[in-house]
Amino acid sequence: MYILTERFALAAGMLLFVSINAATAAELDAPTGPVLLTISGELANTNGDGTAAFDLEMLRALGATDITTDTIWTPGTITFTGVELKTLLDHVGASGDEIDATAINDYTVVIPVSDAVEGGPIVAYEMDGELMSRRDKGPLWLIYPYSSNSEYRTEVIYSRSIWQLDRMAIK
Amino acid sequence: MTLATGFRRTGRAVFAVLALLCLLAIGILIREVVKELRFLSSASSDNVHWTLSQAEVEFLEFRNAVNWARTAPETPLSTVIVEFDVFYSRTSTLANGSLYSSLREDPAFDAPLTEVRDRLNAMIPLIDGPRDELRANLDDLAAQADEMRILVRKIATTGLQHFALESDALRTSVAVTLLRLAVLTGLLLLALAVLLMHARRTAQQTEKRGKELAIAYARLNTILNTSLDAVVVTDTQGRIQNFNPAAERIFACRLKDVRGKRVGDIMVPEHLRDAHEAGMARFAADGDHRVIGQGRIKLEAMRCSGETFPVELAIETAHAGEEQLMVAFLRDISHRVAAENELVMARDKALAGEQAKAEFLAMMTHEIRTPLNGILGNLSLMEDTKLSSDQSRYMRNMKISGELLMRHVDAVLDVARFESGADKSQEDVTHLGHLFQDIVDSQSSAAHARGNALQWGWIGTPEEWVEVDSSRLQQILLNLLGNAIKFTREGRITIEAEVIERGEPAKIEIRVSDTGSGIAEADLARIFEDFQTVSHQVSDSVGGTGLGLGIVRRFVQAMDGEIGVESTLGEGSTFWLRIPVLPVESPVEEAGVGPESEAPSDLEILLVEDNDINMQLAYEVLVGMGHHVTEARNGQEAVEIAGKRPFDLVLMDIRMPVMDGLTATQKIREGDGPNWDAPIVAFSANVLPEAKDRFAAAGMSDFLGKPLQRSELAQIIIRFCAGRERRVKLEGNTPLLVEQKESPMEKLRHRYMTETASLFEWLAELPEDNDAIADRAHQIAGSAAAFGQPGVREALLLVEQAAEAGDREDLVVAISEAQAAWKAAPEPSLVG
Repeated sequence: MYILTERFALAAGMLLFVSINAATAAELDAPTGPVLLTISGELANTNGDGTAAFDLEMLRALGATDITTDTIWTPGTITFTGVELKTLLDHVGASGDEIDATAINDYTVVIPVSDAVEGGPIVAYEMDGELMSRRDKGPLWLIYPYSSNSEYRTEVIYSRSIWQLDRMAIK
Repeated sequence: MTLATGFRRTGRAVFAVLALLCLLAIGILIREVVKELRFLSSASSDNVHWTLSQAEVEFLEFRNAVNWARTAPETPLSTVIVEFDVFYSRTSTLANGSLYSSLREDPAFDAPLTEVRDRLNAMIPLIDGPRDELRANLDDLAAQADEMRILVRKIATTGLQHFALESDALRTSVAVTLLRLAVLTGLLLLALAVLLMHARRTAQQTEKRGKELAIAYARLNTILNTSLDAVVVTDTQGRIQNFNPAAERIFACRLKDVRGKRVGDIMVPEHLRDAHEAGMARFAADGDHRVIGQGRIKLEAMRCSGETFPVELAIETAHAGEEQLMVAFLRDISHRVAAENELVMARDKALAGEQAKAEFLAMMTHEIRTPLNGILGNLSLMEDTKLSSDQSRYMRNMKISGELLMRHVDAVLDVARFESGADKSQEDVTHLGHLFQDIVDSQSSAAHARGNALQWGWIGTPEEWVEVDSSRLQQILLNLLGNAIKFTREGRITIEAEVIERGEPAKIEIRVSDTGSGIAEADLARIFEDFQTVSHQVSDSVGGTGLGLGIVRRFVQAMDGEIGVESTLGEGSTFWLRIPVLPVESPVEEAGVGPESEAPSDLEILLVEDNDINMQLAYEVLVGMGHHVTEARNGQEAVEIAGKRPFDLVLMDIRMPVMDGLTATQKIREGDGPNWDAPIVAFSANVLPEAKDRFAAAGMSDFLGKPLQRSELAQIIIRFCAGRERRVKLEGNTPLLVEQKESPMEKLRHRYMTETASLFEWLAELPEDNDAIADRAHQIAGSAAAFGQPGVREALLLVEQAAEAGDREDLVVAISEAQAAWKAAPEPSLVG
């Protein structure tokens, strides 16, 4: 399953690459630090090669949102800080229905754009006020407010909670 | 009732508990289901299996990266570092994630994990250190990875096994929950079924009760509507609530017209209204009721037309819910009251009739007895005169007839006396044997005259001395014996006495049997009734009043006895009677003055009598007995004579002109005249008991019936004068006997003729004094009948009436008619 998803993502990436030229592009700031997240696919605003690359400072600039919650993967209650997925997608002018989110180890999961609502998931970069290392599921982790609503405590949502996130393809 | 209520209560409690259990079960069920659903919907697990196998995959990626770096020295080592971090992150998840906390409690999982984590932590300085050093140690790293492989493998398999078991447990839990769900659903259904059944039964009961109520209501209505009595229902204020059809009929008003109106205003007559209102107020004030619950009372009510009528009324109170009601039952008794009034009137009339009859009877007997006295007295006197043999025979026949007639009159008097209740039973001590013997002796000559043998005797042990009403018993036996003799010729008549019950009182049976003509069976039932005579072919038997056995029956019943008869026509009859008697010790015989003792003679007697004939008869008898007689014509004369000198005895008639015998007696008794304590004996044809009482009350000593009987007179003289000091000392011993050239009767006739002739001479002059005319006419009229001149008597009575009325014209006519009657009258003679 993992292999299949990876191949499918690769093929999708090639198709997206072709269609980007047709889009009306707005120029985003270029990242100055190490790139943590690269968004590709149906975007309005990019910062080169039809993708939007973000470093930590760019993500912080989009505004921080805290989610305090338990998770099934960590002990105790934790406060995550990050940018709301909706804010991020609006920022890049995403116009697709789904997001192929991929982790460092190429774990890929499909997230419907409809998940990106206010008070919904965030792309977290801090855990209890500290940046997350790669060894500790960092640097980015898509966190849903699991404690706020039982609808966020389903296996589908758990499977969408991708950690060590570094790429998103909107389609 | 209580038992049923108990069951109902228990049932209710059971259902309440059942409902509670159901609610509880439903609650538990909901909780269980929600829990399961929550568990199922909010999955607490990521795909744990995947995560566990992913750990092994990521470990292998890391090992591959190390091995690849060893074989190709020019490749950068960043892949190794990334794969290390990814694997490290995975082990962190396993070591810290709450999802795996249960798994970590298993040392088979926790021990290898801890060792892997320790080894990874030991590698961190190398991984984070300079690349050259990392590259130099790649072989060592690969060796360590080889060693870790088996550990990672163990972590994955142990985890998978654990979660397989947990999954099994979860399935079991779901299965159990579902089973519980099924059981609870079943129970719920059962409870619902029970509730449904209960509800149905309750509904049925309600329906049944409803029907019963409807039936009861219909029945009650039928009773009310068909009741003949009026039923009026009011509240405590007397306002009409209901009014049944009978009430509408009786009070002649419609329910719709009277509903809500006050009873006092429309049903109570005006004269009772105040009492009614007072009663209602009393009831309202303190519940005091005189009428309610007292049963039927009689009152007057008023119809709507205003007509009042008598009713019988009963009132009860009743409670209908909170409200108190009064229920009145009324019955129109106007018909009954009318009938009762009629009955009372009829009874009064009957009583008045009875009274009139009794008075008539008494008067008639008196009127019959007076002339009968004359007849019998004169017959007695005539017997002493010289008669031819034919005359003697006629005399005897007349005497027999006269005595018979007297007996009949006495019988009628007996009945009248008995019916009037004056004749009280009087027990005395009697020797039964003597009584029977006396009766047999007295009747033996009559029996022998008809060729009958008469005897008496005891059957069994006799009871001699008893206390019994002997005079009645004597009369009963005489009557029965008389009948037996009358209806028997050349036969045998027997009196048998037998004690049939010993004790106190004992009971004796007396049988009077004859061998006479007997009584037809058809007649047996009625012979004890009054005025019943038995038709018979015995030519020489003498008829009677038909009162004899009626009197006997009355006497026997008055003595608490019973009487009956057995008879065969042509063979004879047996009359039996059973009477209670009280046996007593034989009294000590005392030698007293017997009836045989010699009656004293030579007494001074004052005879008071207004009727000449009767005076003469009594005079003859008394003088014949050797007494001295002084005559007085009325009470006034008697009082005057008695005031002058003492008498041994006074015989006083009752009904007399000027002054009657009772007044005269009272006057003689008053004061201290010479005769104030002399025996004064009434001398009257009136023998009714109340008359005797009157005589005694006036101070009379005794009573002597007319006609004067020698024996009775002798008894009276013995009782009052025998053995006493003579009240009168005679001067000289010469009796005042008049030498008689004529016989006394002839002298009497002469006197009558002289007196009558002088009366008519006097009357011819038409004297002015009406009272004198009436008195003298009355005197002669009293004698005329006795001298066989009834025409003269009638005519003189008319003269008396006219004189009393003071009508001169009538008087003149009456006198001339009387003179004509006197001339036309036969020669006076003393014949009855």
